[in-house]
Amino acid sequence: MLTDNSNNDSTASTGLRKARLAFAISAGKLAGASGRFFHIGGGTSLPGMIARRIDPNVLKSVVGASKAKKIVITGSNGKTTTARMTAAIADASGHRVSQNRTGSNLLQGVTSVAVNFADVLGRLDSDVLLFEIDEATIPLAVPEIQPDVVVITNIFRDQLDRYGELYSVARALNTMLEELPETATILLNGNDPQVASFGANAKAKRVFFGLETTEVGTPVPEQSADIVRCIRCHHDLDYKVAYMSHLGIYSCPNCSYTLPDLDIAATSVGLAENGEGPSHIKLRTPQGEIKLEIPLPGIHNVYNAAAAIGAAMAVGFPLDKVQTAMNNVRTAFGRMEKIQAGDKTIFLSFVKNPTSFNLMLRLIALHPGKKHLLLAASHTVVDGEDFAWLWDVDIEEIAADILDAVCSGNKPEELAMRLKYAEVPTDRITLIQDREAALDAAMKQVEPGGTLYIMSSYTPTQELRRIMQKRGWVKHFWEE
Amino acid sequence: MNENKKDTGMVIKIGHLYPTLLSVAADRGNLFSIEKRCKWRGIGVEVEQIFVKQTPDFTKYDMILFHGGADREMEIASKDVQHKASSLREAAEANVVFFSVCAGYQLLGHYYKPFEGPELKGADVLDLYTEGGNTRFMTHIALECHFEEMGTKVLVGYENHSGRTYLGSKVKPLGKVLSGWGNNGKDGVEGAVYKNVFGTYTHGPSLPKNPWFTDLLIQRALERRYGKVKLVPLDDSTENAAHDAALKLAMDFKGTMSAIEATPWKK
Repeated sequence: MLTDNSNNDSTASTGLRKARLAFAISAGKLAGASGRFFHIGGGTSLPGMIARRIDPNVLKSVVGASKAKKIVITGSNGKTTTARMTAAIADASGHRVSQNRTGSNLLQGVTSVAVNFADVLGRLDSDVLLFEIDEATIPLAVPEIQPDVVVITNIFRDQLDRYGELYSVARALNTMLEELPETATILLNGNDPQVASFGANAKAKRVFFGLETTEVGTPVPEQSADIVRCIRCHHDLDYKVAYMSHLGIYSCPNCSYTLPDLDIAATSVGLAENGEGPSHIKLRTPQGEIKLEIPLPGIHNVYNAAAAIGAAMAVGFPLDKVQTAMNNVRTAFGRMEKIQAGDKTIFLSFVKNPTSFNLMLRLIALHPGKKHLLLAASHTVVDGEDFAWLWDVDIEEIAADILDAVCSGNKPEELAMRLKYAEVPTDRITLIQDREAALDAAMKQVEPGGTLYIMSSYTPTQELRRIMQKRGWVKHFWEE
Repeated sequence: MNENKKDTGMVIKIGHLYPTLLSVAADRGNLFSIEKRCKWRGIGVEVEQIFVKQTPDFTKYDMILFHGGADREMEIASKDVQHKASSLREAAEANVVFFSVCAGYQLLGHYYKPFEGPELKGADVLDLYTEGGNTRFMTHIALECHFEEMGTKVLVGYENHSGRTYLGSKVKPLGKVLSGWGNNGKDGVEGAVYKNVFGTYTHGPSLPKNPWFTDLLIQRALERRYGKVKLVPLDDSTENAAHDAALKLAMDFKGTMSAIEATPWKK
């Protein structure tokens, strides 16, 4: 009976439910506070975990009682930065935002929003609830949240060891979209041939965002691209331009399947040549054209901005403060995060699949000079067990520019082997499992005034960043 | 050690089947492994990519690579491979080396019957068939293999399949399962061998971290064209470290259906 979520309206059980909710939220808050106090982690998913143990309905109750607009952001890549940009737009126009900020995007992390921001009676004092949610958690989380807007950034081959195959993730997302009510808005990346096909039979309104320019991109998709065949008839797609992985302007020569009309389209994209500076874009929107400077580098951040603007529009936020909002967006934790370490610079990048790794490599390749690298991979329940995808990363493109590389994490051997087969000389590759020793060794190889590039899977990124916090190079990520 | 060795004048011709259609688990790493280990020994490698609708004479290759894909890609490959099947069988009889993984392995058999959906015909190169299960084997795997020229060796990788493969009398298993599930989770064996045709469920990709097996494939391919060959040994310390790490994982995860679910929370 304690986990019963049926509509039992007797006073006693209502009182019991309220008491349990209050207890759940209090216990979750306490867990988060003590986690932060004892520095045993960011306190990001523990509160949600504890609260759900006490009241499995905690998320549903708190979110359901809130009048705030609810935005869910999911997809393989770009969730965190899209959420940050959306929050910045909301914030710039004076809206109060609550979100699961720190990439803690499984059910416990999502639930933490309710625990951290609500008072003990489960009341949320926010105008916008922003949820960044892992693709696989979507079928569990969306019914509890009942979102007004769902953003799907893209679907890349990711975590095959968790999901089995790409298409099963896609099917689950599509089912979720078709169940949304007609009052909801679905924001889809039109450049992703699979994502663009989602929700074709949905009651909710579909809005497409993407790029519509040939100023950037390549004539054919990169090797690691997943969907290069038509979603309908399976014929090979023709690409006019490919922007990253299988995202591009595509059409099927066999059937009528093609890029949908984009509601929010970057019609002009100028990327910084040094791989570090801002991008300049023109964005066509239903409310007219916007010219924007996006302070974060790379084509992926153009997508993130377009998605964020689409989400903001869908909940009715004005767009006049978008540039101000963009200026306030800093790189998310470990997203090509620039860190000053004495007279040396570190770029810390969290990479989790070939698409994100290749994007970072390409940005780094634009930076002048030869490179010192620290790569780290760990097999954990979060990072996954199968690191085959490293062989879809185009290390070859920068192999000749690698001065030295330290491989770390609890699975450094596969990284070292990947570098060897990209013909990085083995005497330039060092294996050091211990994260702190690896960071020291890598920093030692960097000349004064030089730069270290760190590319790392999720858990070692957190571990490395914690070491950098200890040394005062970065802030705790929950303070951001 | 990575500098190019003196040119031996020998060349391996590789036919890479469906390189874009079937490449789900970064199995192009297998090709890298073969290419680089040849290059480092002064052996030339020529790679021809073979797409749908192309029907080359497969006996002209020394080695054929046939990798994995999801069910949707497999359906396309199944239809197309019917037009290639007779030439593939000829190549197998002519001792061409085949290295096939997962969907490629299944499609060299008689048929693949998915758990849901219509049966997919194979190329009848290997005497085996596959039936889809309602659960998936997704974990680290290790096999014990024995080959005359290599002795007893351990092959490591990662399996991710719902198909259960059953071997006929004309093929032998590739190895005995030490950890993991193998062909069907029941009979304790993994993969299949017929002449120089090898099939396996091991992804990883498996060749880079099993340099002994890559060398076996290279040697068999060369011997078909040039007669008895002795490969120059390479420094495999990087590869062997990856091999041993994968073997340790396989033994740590022994008995688990899915390594992810079994992963303990650990630093």
